[in-house]
Amino acid sequence: MTYAEYLSGEPVIVTAALTGGVHGKETTPHLPETPEEIGRAAAAAEAAGAAVVHLHARRENGERAFSAGRFQAIDEAVRRHADDVIVQHSTGGTGAPLSERRKPLGTDPPPEMASLDMGPLNRYDHLTSENTRGTVDALYDEMQDRGIKPELEVFNDGHRNEVHGLLDRRDLADPVYATLIFGPGTLTRPTPRNFLAAVEGLPDGALFNTLGFGRHQLPFGTLGVLLGGHVRVGLEDNVYYRRGELAESSAQLVERIVAVAERLGREVATPAQAREILGL
Amino acid sequence: MACPFLSYRSAAADHEFDEPRAFCGAVEEFVQPMRADVCNDRYDFDHATHCEIYREHASGGGGVDGDAEASEGGDP
Repeated sequence: MTYAEYLSGEPVIVTAALTGGVHGKETTPHLPETPEEIGRAAAAAEAAGAAVVHLHARRENGERAFSAGRFQAIDEAVRRHADDVIVQHSTGGTGAPLSERRKPLGTDPPPEMASLDMGPLNRYDHLTSENTRGTVDALYDEMQDRGIKPELEVFNDGHRNEVHGLLDRRDLADPVYATLIFGPGTLTRPTPRNFLAAVEGLPDGALFNTLGFGRHQLPFGTLGVLLGGHVRVGLEDNVYYRRGELAESSAQLVERIVAVAERLGREVATPAQAREILGL
Repeated sequence: MACPFLSYRSAAADHEFDEPRAFCGAVEEFVQPMRADVCNDRYDFDHATHCEIYREHASGGGGVDGDAEASEGGDP
């Protein structure tokens, strides 16, 4: 996927990351946590132009949940409120054992997509989200068994090597879909030059999704549009609309990147178009 | 065993919630959900090992800011 895709008019897939697994309503009151809140947020994001919703589950008090039952309740709320949006479950889970991280893949029906973290990530001062190759392979194999498309999450340049390694170990269906993540800490340093290098280092034929944390969400989303990639926005990754002003919703952030894409002449994919592009 | 600084509150400062949430008495703030798993020693977490706030305050150092400073993005 290259600038040529931009010129050729390939539609851009917008993913809305609605909730996440790190912060909660203590950070922003607008973050959806309950199944009903997430279902309504998914519908609003879809109406704004998102084709995919990336989902995490929470307990009633906002703390992290991994059970298939909790994801099932969320999926049902999404289907009740949204039209045709593609559901993508997170399998991320800093500190949680593999047995917990498998659970979001166990809904009926399974999600069409699920995230697959490609390697370790430091958190706070004394924590690491490990994501060993054994964990990556086990989660991938379960996705394969259940017909779930993996979204490969590339936190940094080393994780690009891990994508190539996974392709050596497993026979991934085309197109490979990788999210390139930019921000502080363990993430790839958010510079345009690093973005270009990350795109160029992906396997031939891979599609990329663009994730900039915090204030990098808008500029990196715009770069993703111009480089022929896809874009993820939402309150999981960025709680501000502009400096000092909380975003009101993920839908508001979707509306903004959709407006950018349309201004730049890039069509925004419907869920049906996204399914075709991603081979779902 | 959960962190001794952990309590569950429905309101503090300018926050008010329907369900009581994890509150850190060391920094007097509600904590992020991911950190609440550390406070509760869930999964493989141990607050004495993994929480810089506990480590600083238990050693009498104090002065570690809460999650607004510590977060490095999401758990994508």
